[in-house]
Amino acid sequence: MNISLNDLKKSMEREGYISEDDLAVTVYLALTLQKPLLVEGAPGVGKTEIAKVLGRVFAAEVIRLQCYEGLDENKALYEWNYQKQLLKIQIMKDACARDDIEKDLFDEEYLLERPLLKAIRTEKTVVLLIDEVDKVDEPFEAFLFELLSDFQVSIPELGTLSARKIPIVVLTSNGDRDLSDGLKRRCVYLYIDYPDIDKEVRILQTKVPEAGERLRLEVAAAVNFIRANLDLRKQPSIAESIDWARALMALDADFLGVDSISRTVNTLLKNRDDRMQLMSGNVLHDLMHRLNSVGWPEKEHDCAGCGHGHEGHK
Amino acid sequence: MTVPAVGTAMKVINNKTRGVFNLELDRMTGIVAEVEGTGIDSLEYNITRFVQVLRHLGVRVSLAETMDAMAALARVDLLSRGQFRGALRACLAKSSREAGLFNQAFDLFFTTAEEKLKRQKLRKEMQEERERLISGAQQELNGVMEDWQGELPEKIALTDMQLETYSLLPEEEKERMKEILERMKANPVNNPGELINRVLQSSLNYWRYYMMKNLKEKEGSRIPAEAELTGDEELDEVIQSVAAEFYHTPGDRIKHQDMESLDDGDLPRITALINHISSQLALGMSRRYKRSSRPVAVDIRRTVRRNIKYGGIPLELKFRSRRKKRPGFLLICDVSASMARYARFVLQFMYGLSSAVKEIESFIFSENLERITPFFRLNDNFSGSMTEIVNSSRQWGKSTNLYQSLKTFKKLYGDTASRETIVFIVSDTKTVAPGEAARLLGDLRRKCGELIWLNTLPAIEWEKQPQIGVFRKIADMYPCNTLSQLEKAVRRHVLGRYA
Repeated sequence: MNISLNDLKKSMEREGYISEDDLAVTVYLALTLQKPLLVEGAPGVGKTEIAKVLGRVFAAEVIRLQCYEGLDENKALYEWNYQKQLLKIQIMKDACARDDIEKDLFDEEYLLERPLLKAIRTEKTVVLLIDEVDKVDEPFEAFLFELLSDFQVSIPELGTLSARKIPIVVLTSNGDRDLSDGLKRRCVYLYIDYPDIDKEVRILQTKVPEAGERLRLEVAAAVNFIRANLDLRKQPSIAESIDWARALMALDADFLGVDSISRTVNTLLKNRDDRMQLMSGNVLHDLMHRLNSVGWPEKEHDCAGCGHGHEGHK
Repeated sequence: MTVPAVGTAMKVINNKTRGVFNLELDRMTGIVAEVEGTGIDSLEYNITRFVQVLRHLGVRVSLAETMDAMAALARVDLLSRGQFRGALRACLAKSSREAGLFNQAFDLFFTTAEEKLKRQKLRKEMQEERERLISGAQQELNGVMEDWQGELPEKIALTDMQLETYSLLPEEEKERMKEILERMKANPVNNPGELINRVLQSSLNYWRYYMMKNLKEKEGSRIPAEAELTGDEELDEVIQSVAAEFYHTPGDRIKHQDMESLDDGDLPRITALINHISSQLALGMSRRYKRSSRPVAVDIRRTVRRNIKYGGIPLELKFRSRRKKRPGFLLICDVSASMARYARFVLQFMYGLSSAVKEIESFIFSENLERITPFFRLNDNFSGSMTEIVNSSRQWGKSTNLYQSLKTFKKLYGDTASRETIVFIVSDTKTVAPGEAARLLGDLRRKCGELIWLNTLPAIEWEKQPQIGVFRKIADMYPCNTLSQLEKAVRRHVLGRYA
């Protein structure tokens, strides 16, 4: 892949993906070493987005294989077109010998390509996204080895098919279970953590440009506080903090206050217990104090229990 | 796979040696020249040593991955520390935990010459201090023996470790030991040297054990089960520092610290962690349960092939192979005095799983065996169930008799084990009558599908325990003294088999 590290980083940023140096180096190595990129991290940190962004950077089609338990090679690699085969048998039954029919039946004409086969048979470079690979069963994981190390697949009736153009392969995992050493060994590994405040501000700047500087900073600081200090059933993802900022914008809030938080918290925390934990007096009080310390100290927030009477609406 | 960095280095070395000697080298000479040529400051040498550090910290790095790392380094700017670190991490660390270990090890290993010198100096000072303490202790004890009346005892034969222990004793304890020696002077016995050595050695051994135990309780295990030392001082220093720091972040410390030394103050956090892990596993198991109840499907490909002879009319149906029957699980957990703390965490773990899976039969044992499955089905919370178990059980905190326990199991519950059952025994193997227990264990092994022994003794101590060798011949034994190891074992043997 002819691209320099700097160019890759800039291109990804241009496509709306804010990446720090570590992330860019890892993606760059996966591309130049022509190895699959295995991305792990909590849900909503931008794993799948990497594949989509690479698709846009290289103007390549993104072929997605969404993994789930019970996924097998028929759904992931190829399937024979049985209806067409049956019709052929009916048509040819009196005209040909049985062996000849059988030989014809397993021709590429009757092959239905599934994502993996499609990715290695296209003439152009594509991005193959194998999403949530930790959901598949271990035998299927082992089945992927041949594709991931040699970019080829074996079909009993046709033999081994090698990639016409080596695809950019991105595998994502939420870490529901440990992946096998064999799979990990074949990949370049990237772990994406939740972003720090600065990075989240930059993401919000890109995704919700209409939000003011203060709101962006406070949303990022609040989400960072919630992730670090609350024992939640589900941590808020980046997508949810973007949604939260958009919801606040829809309510004309230009900074965070108790009232605006309570009216929009549904977009950030999707579990009732989590919401109750955040809205409990002490937590909210600590959060408002934290927000006071991140900037704009001249205008105090409405602190729960503090008697700071203020609300963040225009 | 081509590795430009290594390949280039080898070519350079070969060219250099050819240049110097101006003759064709045989293979052996080439290899020797290559080894000599790659000095300790070479990139390859340092990467290899760094990989060794990672391996000893429990990061599994294969040869292929080391070669990938070298290839990756050839593609980044080696003068940029960020790029250098990123390239190595992408190839050598393959999980978030491993990435955390990598980061700390990297900072300690790839450090400035000044910092390395400072650490070497500190290490030397510590070594000198230790030697000073040992020699002081030796002199102090010899001083007491100087005016021995009658037959002179042989020289006091204590190891460096025992002398070090002596030097660390409280002053009053040192005085007490000296007093004992003085009193022995007044009552000379035959062969006094041997007697003195025995008294001193056993007393100092006891003190060492006591001090180590206190330290363990106070600070937790400094080196977690997954981290092992190499014997190379420089590497061990990095390993110890990483282990001490990394495993002291709350979540990791709890997961990787010996369960016995977990602090009571951490109980809420431990409970939350165990609940989290077990609920994740339970979710996975219940999902698989639903999937396995699907009806068997027609295998269209095989059906078409089979029916070509009938003109494509599907007269003979072919089915996908039937799923394996879901296995049941039997947990037999040792709750004797030495195991009480482990048992609490193991049972909590299993309690979490049993909320989703009904095929778990649980037993506790020490002097005898008791079934506790009904307590887990009361829909009470764990602490309620645990209180019930402790109150109604007569096994908690007693000595261990696996033989008697297995005898009871065979007599009362033998029919709960079948070829589909996976049996877990959680115990430190310290039992009376291990030979007889092994015989009954063999009977159980023949009856069940798989017999897994989760041993709470750290693997490093296994060789010292002869009974472990006996049990290992019968059961697949895995170390299980940390929550991380417990989780791994359950994932591998429970979730893995539940497909």
